[in-house]
Amino acid sequence: MSKIVILGAGIAGHVAATHLRRKLPQKHEVVVVSPNSNYQWVPSNIWVGIGRMKSEKIYFPLAPLYKKKGIGYRQAKAISFYPEGDKTEEKPYVLSEYVVGENKGLQEKITYDYLINATGPKLNFEATEGLIPGKNKAYSVCTYTHADHAWEGLSALIQEMKKGKKAKILIGTGHAKSTCQGAAFEYILNVEQELRKHNVRDMAEVTWISNEYQLGDFGMDGMLLSYGSMTMKSHEMVEMIFEDRDIKWILGAGVYKVEDGVAHYENLEGEYKIETYDFAMLIPAFSGHGFKAFDKNENDITEKLFKGFMIVDADYTPKPYEEWSVKDWPETYQNPSYKNIFAPGIAFAPPHAISKPRTSKNGTVISPAPPRTGMPSGITAKLVADNIIDSIKSGKESLNHKGSMGNMGAACIASAGYGMTTGSGVSITTYPIVPDYEKYPKTQGRQLGKTFGEIGLAGHWLKLALHYAFIYKAKMRPFWWLIPE
Amino acid sequence: MTQRISKYQRFKMMNPVIQFFKFIYLSIKIMLVVAGGHGGTRKVN
Ligand SMILES: Cc1cc2nc3c(=O)[nH]c(=O)nc-3n(C[C@H](O)[C@H](O)[C@H](O)COP(=O)(O)OP(=O)(O)OC[C@H]3O[C@@H](n4cnc5c(N)ncnc54)[C@H](O)[C@@H]3O)c2cc1C
Repeated sequence: MSKIVILGAGIAGHVAATHLRRKLPQKHEVVVVSPNSNYQWVPSNIWVGIGRMKSEKIYFPLAPLYKKKGIGYRQAKAISFYPEGDKTEEKPYVLSEYVVGENKGLQEKITYDYLINATGPKLNFEATEGLIPGKNKAYSVCTYTHADHAWEGLSALIQEMKKGKKAKILIGTGHAKSTCQGAAFEYILNVEQELRKHNVRDMAEVTWISNEYQLGDFGMDGMLLSYGSMTMKSHEMVEMIFEDRDIKWILGAGVYKVEDGVAHYENLEGEYKIETYDFAMLIPAFSGHGFKAFDKNENDITEKLFKGFMIVDADYTPKPYEEWSVKDWPETYQNPSYKNIFAPGIAFAPPHAISKPRTSKNGTVISPAPPRTGMPSGITAKLVADNIIDSIKSGKESLNHKGSMGNMGAACIASAGYGMTTGSGVSITTYPIVPDYEKYPKTQGRQLGKTFGEIGLAGHWLKLALHYAFIYKAKMRPFWWLIPE
Repeated sequence: MTQRISKYQRFKMMNPVIQFFKFIYLSIKIMLVVAGGHGGTRKVN
């Protein structure tokens, strides 16, 4: 009998848990440890943040589902890792602390045979002075509670605008090294459309602020894509959309401080500037959770497991940008020191950025960190689960399932406005996610036919269809496994 | 110069009939790209 412990019940953790449970006989134990009692479909937070979807529509409680399906569940947070056990506990374990109920504050050694670390990112608001969701007129849409607050702030401002107030709206990244530009991109387009629906668009100046060097970089170095009969660069496509929507933009901006209605930033020229606003949504930096790890004798071995995020089978050798290779990216998400530990989704440490790194004239790094969107998070989690299943069934390590982000496609269906007949979406598909300059030297590392963009109402329907399909799948309704990651 | 979205393009983008077919087309195309498999990069054939 094997025991598989999964830390985190986000997209990656939940995908891994559900597949393991479906494919492994009941004698094997599958246990999820996560501090949040709910599963949330994060991409739909955008619509919560514009008041078009109630937050209850995007989450559901995990405990009843896990109970019904025979998945163990601890509402607790992992604190530290003991991959060799300790002096009193022979088995490897994760020290975890319960976060609710009568056990709140109680710590437990949760032992495992296989460990999947799917704890995603820490939303590192502290890295930017004054960036606190709901404070200083700055908001976030990274969780459903943040998105609820964002809508409260935005709707109050819309009411003031209806009474004649002129307003400035600032949306983008809140740190020099933030990632997840795609989410901010969706939000700015949705907010812009809402302003039009409320007939207050002419009262607002809407500005995009980002650490990207060019529009449409998305932390992926931009892309060359087919758009209708044309081939265009993603920055041209986003520029076209922003021009069309009358959205201004500030690029190469590393926001380092937020005060009430004022964002302070440094740009690549090394200038320190400010941008005032009445409502802002700024994506924070993402970081690792600061976990510690110890060996059997309780010596600190954190550097064997973590490099901010978790170390996996990537090539982390520091090298100049020109020498970066798609082969540096991990394939199995297995920790090289402890072969029974895996880290899919956002939890693994990327070997390097995807966008060309840039520093300001003062030496500040102002460059997007590599994104890992929902689709690769789900795919990597499933392949980790499949390798564990094969290993358990065959009795020996099996790593046949591989999925490098350099050999994997991703679809980003960015909502550009909500409404069954008035909505819009920007659908961008990229293959591969990490450019492969050896295979596709002439098309910026990507396969052109599979890297394409589309704008229109169909994009909104697609995003809505994905919302319902993925919540259906997450709830493990009949034949849920037929829906791909 | 920045490309502009023309009136005709906007009509096509928001026309429900055209977009219905686009929806089907995009769903299939995205499925092919995304569910079309994935693998490693280190072993070159
Ligand atoms: C607003 C927004 C919109 C987005 N839109 C899209 C989109 O349209 N398409 C797309 O593909 N991607 C989108 N993304 C990205 C996508 O949401 C992420 O890629 C995905 O959520 C990553 O999954 P994950 O499981 O790795 O991490 P997460 O979803 O962050 O899950 C991490 C889990 O770990 C748990 N956890 C945290 N700390 C601990 C601990 N100490 N111990 C145990 N558990 C812990 C958390 O509670 C959570 O359950 C969006 C992201 C945002 C923020």
